[in-house]
Amino acid sequence: MRKDLVFGMAGSGGDGIVSAGDSLLQAAAAEGYHGVMTKSFGSQIRGGESSCRVRISTTPILNPGGNLDVAVALNWEDFLKFGAELPVSGNTVVIYEAATGIPENQIPLVGVTPLQVIAVPIAAMAKETAGTERAKNTVVLGLIAGWFGIGAVAVMKGIRKKLAKKGEELVEANQRAFDAGRAFAMEHPLKASMNVIASETKGAVKLITDGNDMCAAAAIFAGCQFFGGYPITPSTEIMQFFTDHVWKYGGAVLQAEDEIAGIGAAVGASFAGKKSMTATSGPGLSLKSEMMGLASIAELPLVIVDVQRGGPSTGLPTKTEQSDLFAAAFSAHGDVIRPVLAPTSVADTFRITIEAFNIAEYYQTPVIILSDQEIASRKETLDPIDTTQFKIVNRLRPAGSDLQDYKRFKQTENHISPISHPGMLGGTYLASGIEHVESGAPTNSGSVHARMNDKRTKKFDPLKDRKDLFEVTGNPDAPIAMVAWGSVAGVCREALDMALAEGLNVKLLVPYLLYPVAEGVYNDFFASVQKGLIIDQTHLAQTFKLLRMHIDLPKGVKPLARSGANPFLPSDIVAALHSLLSELQRSHEGNLQPQE
Amino acid sequence: MSATGTCEYQPKDYKSDLKPIWCPGCGDFSVVQGIYRALAAIGRAPHEIAFVSGIGCSSRIPGYTTAYGFNSVHGRALPIAQGIKLANPDLLVLAAGGDGDGFSIGGGHIAHLIRRNMDITYIVMDNQIYGLTKGQLSPTSQKGRVTCTSRFGSLENPVNPLLYVLAYGAGFVAQASPTDLVGMAATIEEAIRYPGFAFVNIQSPCVTYGEEAQQIKGLKAISESLAGLGHNPADRLAAMDLAQHYGEKLHLGVFYRNPEPPPTYGDLVKERQALLSKDALPKERILDLFIKK
Amino acid sequence: MAMRGIDFAKLSLMDALDLAILVEDEAQERYEEFAAQMDLHRTPDAAKFFRYMVENEAKHGRELSARRVQRFQDAPMAVSRTMIYDIEAPDYDAARAFMSPRKAMEAALASEVKAHAFFEAALPSLKDAEVHALFAELRDEEILHQTLVKAELAKLPPDSGLSDEDFVDEPAPQ
Repeated sequence: MRKDLVFGMAGSGGDGIVSAGDSLLQAAAAEGYHGVMTKSFGSQIRGGESSCRVRISTTPILNPGGNLDVAVALNWEDFLKFGAELPVSGNTVVIYEAATGIPENQIPLVGVTPLQVIAVPIAAMAKETAGTERAKNTVVLGLIAGWFGIGAVAVMKGIRKKLAKKGEELVEANQRAFDAGRAFAMEHPLKASMNVIASETKGAVKLITDGNDMCAAAAIFAGCQFFGGYPITPSTEIMQFFTDHVWKYGGAVLQAEDEIAGIGAAVGASFAGKKSMTATSGPGLSLKSEMMGLASIAELPLVIVDVQRGGPSTGLPTKTEQSDLFAAAFSAHGDVIRPVLAPTSVADTFRITIEAFNIAEYYQTPVIILSDQEIASRKETLDPIDTTQFKIVNRLRPAGSDLQDYKRFKQTENHISPISHPGMLGGTYLASGIEHVESGAPTNSGSVHARMNDKRTKKFDPLKDRKDLFEVTGNPDAPIAMVAWGSVAGVCREALDMALAEGLNVKLLVPYLLYPVAEGVYNDFFASVQKGLIIDQTHLAQTFKLLRMHIDLPKGVKPLARSGANPFLPSDIVAALHSLLSELQRSHEGNLQPQE
Repeated sequence: MSATGTCEYQPKDYKSDLKPIWCPGCGDFSVVQGIYRALAAIGRAPHEIAFVSGIGCSSRIPGYTTAYGFNSVHGRALPIAQGIKLANPDLLVLAAGGDGDGFSIGGGHIAHLIRRNMDITYIVMDNQIYGLTKGQLSPTSQKGRVTCTSRFGSLENPVNPLLYVLAYGAGFVAQASPTDLVGMAATIEEAIRYPGFAFVNIQSPCVTYGEEAQQIKGLKAISESLAGLGHNPADRLAAMDLAQHYGEKLHLGVFYRNPEPPPTYGDLVKERQALLSKDALPKERILDLFIKK
Repeated sequence: MAMRGIDFAKLSLMDALDLAILVEDEAQERYEEFAAQMDLHRTPDAAKFFRYMVENEAKHGRELSARRVQRFQDAPMAVSRTMIYDIEAPDYDAARAFMSPRKAMEAALASEVKAHAFFEAALPSLKDAEVHALFAELRDEEILHQTLVKAELAKLPPDSGLSDEDFVDEPAPQ
């Protein structure tokens, strides 16, 4: 009996593979399991190669998983296109379309002998029972129900609900296809049972959503009343959520003519006193730099979501990467500090988005949420979140006394000035990108400029003490360490569990606050460390370099960096940790030699 | 070789080996055929053609030709095309993109290319939707249109690409569609031949996100030939009057062609270079400019 | 669909034969394009049918070429592809991702109907008796081709009546 199964399914867009994955995830949630689904596809808008990965577990899931437990290939050409995204191992059960004509001992997987290989006449069963080969995906769901014990009732319940409006004939056709799949599985039991044990939390309420929708919902919860943006894969869904819902809360949304106009409108809305947001991906972040600089010098609160994809330039629009880190921290000319936060899962996207708004409002600054394509588009089941636990912070409004001879950029002890907005009697001021004195009037004085730069940078010092924006797990005094953020953090959390279980003395730091670099937190973390890995999906090892700019890393700490679309598996990380352990042991042995 | 000694090209000489990734049924398949035919009729060698585009489904088009292609960034085909033309005026320069690429993010650039009157042909494949990113509102979507980003209907009036370009004073403005393949190829050819900036708006349906009324059948139902209406393409005001019907009627053919095309930007630059080069210091002596007299 | 720069009244038999061969070439290329589109969009059954049509068009082209060679040997061609456009080639608009073999055959049928109409319409303008006979023959061939395609259609099992859209994945944003 298993507690955790990772399914990987591939076919073409016409096979409805992603649709099947969705049904499976929904069914798993209905049965009380935790689930995560990611999808990947080719460059065709319709009918290209298409795949999804669904991980189902009785315990909370940290990442979409490593090697597949179950691989479903509706055709091999498409399955193989996904390469390292659908890794098959000696523990994988491979189910594939018999109509490919390939014998079970000759499947085209090089260098691996799966646990079991089964050819199933999926298309034929679909044709026979539903009248169309297109019902393949439902047959597959039936096979999964039969062999792995998931969704026996819940899948069809979900399909019925989804297709209710389309007529009984369609629903019945699906039922027959499902039943045929299930029957086949029952008649051909697996050599080793892989049923998932029943979940203990069956019947509990579960949420299912993806990173983009979660971010948008969190923003509205945090009081965001304006969104300005432009379509760009993979962030467009955030804008779509706003166009569906923000009107209900008295807010507004604008699909602007371009990225710059989108952030421009958001800057305007903030100037007008409303919490506002924009969202984009790499190419849009590049375009938005000037406006971000403007918001920084004008000290206007603003949240900018960057859902990272493969770069540079147009790059890989549908693949995840973390290479916007430098751009997020440093884009826009001049001496600017702009906070950068990064969620690590769909679940914590809620908290981090609220945090981003709180920081933006409190420090009167643009804040970047560095999400990525994987978190943004993957669907996770979540336990309900108690929204009452979150504090919402609003910008410092001028008190009555402030409005007598109001100075918008008044120097205060914590460098934060009360901020007015149009409509507020007595609070009139000139906002601008030009350097200014306390009142907002333009200046070109060097001494004022230095004081204002000081104000605009020192105001962020308390951020560096926010230990709650960092997660340290593992053995606190471990000599071996990892640092990882975003979607890679999830992989490293699982790797940490695996490494600790194998007796390695190791710890993991997950920063939610990437910039400004909280030197104190890192120095404390690295105090015990002799060997370590700074892990990210960038070709230039951006995280390692960013940290080195600000702190002295122990000599044995190195980057483990890969270009996007080359996913890390927990096993990769564990292997790397073992290497570090070997290095450490060798150097200790060296130290034990008698010193002359 | 033909009798006149020039090299004759067939449409297939302009077709590259890259298989188009467009959805089957996409209007752009017909558009690229029209471009192959127009270029064959003109007979320019493929390697002497520069074809620039932005980002979008239709912006993939340069890769499907044997011209030097540049699939650049969203909305910026025109500045890049202008740079190419200024750097080498002898090249045949084409620019292409969709309605979003051209009239949303790219909108600011169109006016300036028109005012400069560079000899560049700009083809916009207009399908009133953002196809590549999965069906959002476009600047030419009708008011009230329901899309992914306007589930309760668009609140915006659409841009009229024809009026836009006519109002800025373009010397050649036409519209075409796969509803009339022969006409489209002929219009594209005429646009490329026009000595100066030429604009062709092509109603090229999106079979994945387009509305039923905007598919080929629906477009055929509302199309009318401008020549058939007796329109005089030398009359800009009459052209603008007809252009107002964008969206309700699909007028095909040439809206406006300047009967006396003025010198192009390239012509003027050439003139200036010729004039000023007479007084040029040899490059090795360029620092003489700073000699204190 | 049109012929450009051709004076039907003065059309010679050699030119007419060559044009007919080019019409088959154009149709063959269009079917090849369709087959490639179907491959790229994973619609193998339609791809298979379009490849069958490629072979048909190629065969017709070869038959016409044989007659041309027999009559005119290798006299240089005076006509070119730029003179014809979309005579017998199926409409680009007829193709769709996930299209059924039935829809593919209907597309082929429509193109045969289109070609028939073209040859029929040209007949009154043709002055040369042999050219007239050729065009009439080509027109009648189209009816034969339609019959063949209809026979293929009849062999198809009835459609399931279910819409593909209810099974296939949503389009993918790029």
